[in-house]
Amino acid sequence: MALLKVQSLKKYFDVKDPFSGGRKTLKAVNGIDFSIEEDSIFALVGESGCGKSTVARLVLRLMQPTSGKISFKDRDIFELKDESLREFRRSVQIVFQDPFASLNPRKTVYDAVSEPLKIHRIVEKQRMRERVSEILKTVGLDSDVLDRYPHEFSGGQRQRICIARALAVSPRLIVADEPLSALDVSIQAQILNLLRDIKEHSRVSFLFISHDLNVVHYFSDNVGVMYLGKIVEQAKTEELFERPLHPYTQILLASAPKIRVQTDKPRTPLYEPSAMGRRPNAELRTDIGEVPSPIDIPQGCPFHTRCPERFDPCDKIVPELSEPVSKGINSRLVSCHLWNPR
Amino acid sequence: MPLLEIRDLNISFRTSSSPIRVVNRLGFDIREAEVFGLVGESGCGKSLTALSIMGLLPDNSFSEGIVKFKDRDLLTLDKESMRRLRGKDISMIFQEPMTSLNPVLTIGYQIAEVVTTHEGLSKRDAIIKAVDLLKAVKIPAPEIRVKEYPHQMSGGMRQRVMIAMAIACNPSLLIADEPTTALDVTIQLQILNLLKRLRQERGMSLMLVTHDLGIISENADRVAIMYAGRLMELTDSVGIFSNPRHPYTIGLLKSIPGKKGVELKPIRGVVPRPDELPKGCKFSGRCDFVMPPCRTEEPELNYSSDGHLVRCFREKEIPKWRS
Repeated sequence: MALLKVQSLKKYFDVKDPFSGGRKTLKAVNGIDFSIEEDSIFALVGESGCGKSTVARLVLRLMQPTSGKISFKDRDIFELKDESLREFRRSVQIVFQDPFASLNPRKTVYDAVSEPLKIHRIVEKQRMRERVSEILKTVGLDSDVLDRYPHEFSGGQRQRICIARALAVSPRLIVADEPLSALDVSIQAQILNLLRDIKEHSRVSFLFISHDLNVVHYFSDNVGVMYLGKIVEQAKTEELFERPLHPYTQILLASAPKIRVQTDKPRTPLYEPSAMGRRPNAELRTDIGEVPSPIDIPQGCPFHTRCPERFDPCDKIVPELSEPVSKGINSRLVSCHLWNPR
Repeated sequence: MPLLEIRDLNISFRTSSSPIRVVNRLGFDIREAEVFGLVGESGCGKSLTALSIMGLLPDNSFSEGIVKFKDRDLLTLDKESMRRLRGKDISMIFQEPMTSLNPVLTIGYQIAEVVTTHEGLSKRDAIIKAVDLLKAVKIPAPEIRVKEYPHQMSGGMRQRVMIAMAIACNPSLLIADEPTTALDVTIQLQILNLLKRLRQERGMSLMLVTHDLGIISENADRVAIMYAGRLMELTDSVGIFSNPRHPYTIGLLKSIPGKKGVELKPIRGVVPRPDELPKGCKFSGRCDFVMPPCRTEEPELNYSSDGHLVRCFREKEIPKWRS
């Protein structure tokens, strides 16, 4: 059984054109499906504006979807009430991107970490300090930080406090929205190691949202690549990075700057011949212009305006996310006419 | 002769008590037509170094030392000469293109201003030149775009406009301070490729200030690693990755997530505040190879056997530990 299941999820926003005053629809999430298994890490990657953070908010039930369904432990989260909603709120926690903005400057570390314990009545008052110290220890902080305020800490330490606060109530799922983006490289690695330890010891699942492909490759088990509100490719992380199929995934992976050591093989063209055998050895084009606005999502495949491989049906028919018609590719979903000829 | 020579550069902030020094005895050269990378984590002084070359340090700070550009010491230059040089011989682009552009003027006007100021072009000719520059930075439909305002453009397009302004007078040195940090990866690659092409076409030198070692690996010829206002290691961009000699460089490289399952070995602790730097080597508090002298005396920069400039007492022993 999947821990979290997202089905045909859509979230549209009404936006007002500041000049004409006319109303328009911004399709932030435009029909996506995925599920997260127990004890696993699902990553959503994509560029700004692709809708990944909106998905995070929907999964946390911080907003209502336009349509579609999210089930947590087989129950629709938007129908939960009272005790079952409280249980859901406890089971799903969040870690935000900016540890400077997500801690109340007037509350001590003890206040921040004990608050969820009080709300959910998990620990008796007399044991509270002791329990908070234990939790802080799991994120690598000593108990002498208890009575200090957020401004006394560096970004990395603050993110540890945020993680401690999320862990306090023993959640089943942690939604982490760009938890490393505000941190320096050396601190990123410390936090990444911490998240990995937590995962190993507490068997919590993650919805991990990031634009950093290195981090996603390293940390996640499964990955969905988002583009303009849709998942265009989904696979086991290893397989996706080994052999990206969707032209957008290929370009995204090729665009990320990589460290090359002398002994490395020269960059081989990432381009994969598709099921239809189009342009087998063509060099991958990365100069593909800019993302269209989510207010005017192109007809047909949302990526076709930038796609170097577009052909006949691309600007007319929306490709479905489905298994590619090709031998030797398993547990993969891709939404591209090259791979799913009609 | 190098294009830019920096020697013993100190940058300090004035405080109510004694000034706090944030860049300390920095020295490096930028050669003609090279891409020079300046790397470090936040607060290491890399951006201040760039600003001091431009003579644009914030008011509460000051610099000492020598910044020699084509035989002139920029730190002793009077305001007017510096103004004439800035934007003409040396220009700079920044991380956030929105805050660097004036929101109430068309981009055509803002580009034209550079060439009317420095080359005395008439307004009409300057606008024609602006269109040419927009073409050079590959902005589609430049004749239309030239009349637009910054808010009508995406982040990537705005950065292209900044680049157009920066190259308007064919500078010999372009300083790019985290030019792609605010941009998405696909746009980042386009901007870096554009910079690369313009540098080749115009024979400029490019000083690339960044925290991203991947960008350095793919773009820079030589690279300097900074930590706590000091130069820690300087070498070519192949050597730094295949044969890093400073423990800090090694720590940075081991912090980057690579193959799944390979454990990350991050640098322990955090960057000390500039007013709480340790005595001795500034990295000693976080270094895995620290020994007693490191904590009392600061090592000098020395050449290693393979030609890296390294600030470390134990540099000779590093290779056998690195794995």
